[in-house]
Amino acid sequence: MSRYALAFVNINMLGPASSLCLLFKTWTALSARASMGTYISSQTVKKVIEINPYLLGTMAGGAADCQFWLRNLGMQCRLYELKNGHRITVKAASKLLANTLFGYKGMGLSMGTMIAGWDVGGPGLYYVDSDAQRTKGQIFSVGSGSLYAYGILDDGYNFDMEVEDAIELGQRSIYHATYRDAVSGGTVSVYHVTKDGWKKVRGADVGDLHYKYYPDADQHPTYGASPL
Amino acid sequence: MFAKGPSHSTALGPGCAGPPLANPQNFGQAGPGAHEHGSHQPSCGAAPFAVDASMLRSAGSQPHKHTQSPYVTGSSVLGITYAGGVMLASDTLASYGSTKRYKSVQRLVKVNETTVLGAGGEISDLQYILNMLDDLSTEDYCADDGQSLSSQELYSYLSRVMYNRRNKMDPLWNSLLIAGLESGKPFLGSVNMIGVAFSDDHLATGFGSHLARPLFRKKHRPDMSEEEATALIREALEVCYYRDKQSINKFQIAKVTTAGGVSISDAFALPTKWEYQAFVDPTRDAVGVW
Amino acid sequence: MLAPPPFRLHTPASVGPANASSDNTRSRPAWSPYDDNGGTCVAVAGSDYCIVAASTRLSTGFSILTRDCSKLFKISEQVYIASAGFQGDVRALQKMLQTRNVMYEHIHRKPMSASALAQLLGNNLYYKRFFPYFTWNLCVGLDPEGKGSVYTYDPVGSFERVGFSCQGSGKDLIQPVLDNQLKAASPLVVPAKDWMSALPLEQAQDLVRDAFVSAGERDIYTGDSVEILTITKDGVNKEILDLKKD
Repeated sequence: MSRYALAFVNINMLGPASSLCLLFKTWTALSARASMGTYISSQTVKKVIEINPYLLGTMAGGAADCQFWLRNLGMQCRLYELKNGHRITVKAASKLLANTLFGYKGMGLSMGTMIAGWDVGGPGLYYVDSDAQRTKGQIFSVGSGSLYAYGILDDGYNFDMEVEDAIELGQRSIYHATYRDAVSGGTVSVYHVTKDGWKKVRGADVGDLHYKYYPDADQHPTYGASPL
Repeated sequence: MFAKGPSHSTALGPGCAGPPLANPQNFGQAGPGAHEHGSHQPSCGAAPFAVDASMLRSAGSQPHKHTQSPYVTGSSVLGITYAGGVMLASDTLASYGSTKRYKSVQRLVKVNETTVLGAGGEISDLQYILNMLDDLSTEDYCADDGQSLSSQELYSYLSRVMYNRRNKMDPLWNSLLIAGLESGKPFLGSVNMIGVAFSDDHLATGFGSHLARPLFRKKHRPDMSEEEATALIREALEVCYYRDKQSINKFQIAKVTTAGGVSISDAFALPTKWEYQAFVDPTRDAVGVW
Repeated sequence: MLAPPPFRLHTPASVGPANASSDNTRSRPAWSPYDDNGGTCVAVAGSDYCIVAASTRLSTGFSILTRDCSKLFKISEQVYIASAGFQGDVRALQKMLQTRNVMYEHIHRKPMSASALAQLLGNNLYYKRFFPYFTWNLCVGLDPEGKGSVYTYDPVGSFERVGFSCQGSGKDLIQPVLDNQLKAASPLVVPAKDWMSALPLEQAQDLVRDAFVSAGERDIYTGDSVEILTITKDGVNKEILDLKKD
């Protein structure tokens, strides 16, 4: 009944990219499709929820659950700022969400979300889900297409990679997930988070990406003589 | 209207006006151990209250049960508008399963000078609804301002009551038709047990929605005369009676007219004809029989 | 990583005695707190207009309850909601939103904007997450720049602003046609492209009429007539188009 954000969402993080300063970069990439059963209810659903200028949440599972509770998290983070006079850390924000979800554990919420952002300690990335599991990490991929994305991601990932390469890897990972996973598709969005907050750096239609990566059908890896 | 609490005391049961009791076992208790003496002594010194809260409490040790199925039920109610009025019709049967248990139950009820209510479904729930409507009418009477609830307002009210009960998973098991005059124009509305509410020129509940409404769709006009309307509704009643085994040949027709207000007929029987070929020999032209 | 336990509405099978194991083999009437009364809603946003339309048939199962039950609800002069699904919930939702708008007007001396109402509707749908309103909604109006705005929802309150949308029983038939005829870039694309319907008003109205006439041919829950509202800065125009009654 609810929207299942069955397309996967994928986040990666990389380390010091330039010797100029210890600038950490976090980026996220995701596709944008929401489905109800086999019906694609939206090709344009916003799967990155911009909690505040320094925090992003990603959506997989029930669209309403993610939308509502990440908005609620935004409110909690703002109240934290007002009370304490400084921005909340990614660690604390993700824990607020996990605590909220723990309160609803077993009641049927369906969320797999990644909280990505920048705080005093640099970039932060956490996976939080509706079982109230909360995990810190460098790479996550969530959702029905996540395994396809992990394949590309694990192959190309390196903590010290350049920002442009990282963005491209994320986009490609998502593209390949949309290629193999029926319910992933739509648009691939890539966000780049720095000390100045997040910035959306990519937004590409997966159809366009396909022809960008494989301009000719006969160059596609699956092209060849019929095995029959 | 005056602001007021729930329309009945939980201690006294539905339909009895009184304060809502959040905590019945403490009601009217003069002090600790007061209910050892059986009936309560109100702290104000008035006469002991008739209902013993401690009895209620022991009754309350059973879990509260929601209606999961109806017991004593009424069948279809039909309604049509016509020039200068609106008309409801139903039989007077209240069935207990397939038993024709009560054969003279009036299922069309006058609510006020401009409205009648017709109900199918659980008869005890109907009586509960009527008690509630009585409370509303009493309020109107006490206000003494010459105002009373219009049929549209009663329809809205009942739709909220039905919807609220379905929200509590404890529905009032009825299909209701509300007929009346709204600013001099005929009004006919329908509410069911889960709060689906709509109005139309002609309506029917239960079996009638399958048997009577096709007739209405064919023959009804909003500008019918009262005679035409009566003939149509009698025809529809007859058709329902032939095929609805939960019905009897004892009907009432209620009218609300611009001229004469609300009137509900005495119970009457319709002339019936059982010699139709289809009744005598139902399988005559059926495939595979001889 | 995430098991997808689908959120489930109470179905007749999960409520009432029909589901209870019992040695009583006779079936007793079960009841469901939900019904699907059908109906289709369409909305199209243009650069200076917004069209919202909804069929007027109210059904249950294979029966038509009435041929003339509006699914459009006016919140204020320029903001409407269109809802299909379970009519009991639709009414409750409409009444609640109307009440909230009156309260808002008392406080702010102006009606709610479409975007404010959109968030309110989303929140209130979610507040009933564990006993949802079984309603499919569109919230339409004009934004502060005078552009058409359409918000589309699921029953538990996830929503997004779109250029056009269709909800209800005829959705599967109409949405693909709208996708084809009004296809605009996704709002997620970078660099941003215009994602609203570029159609002139008259063509958009024709498209909506065609969509309903066609859906009426193949969807038993869409028919009788369709109300088409066109909202512009000059006011609201209402058209009622007859559909097939069968």
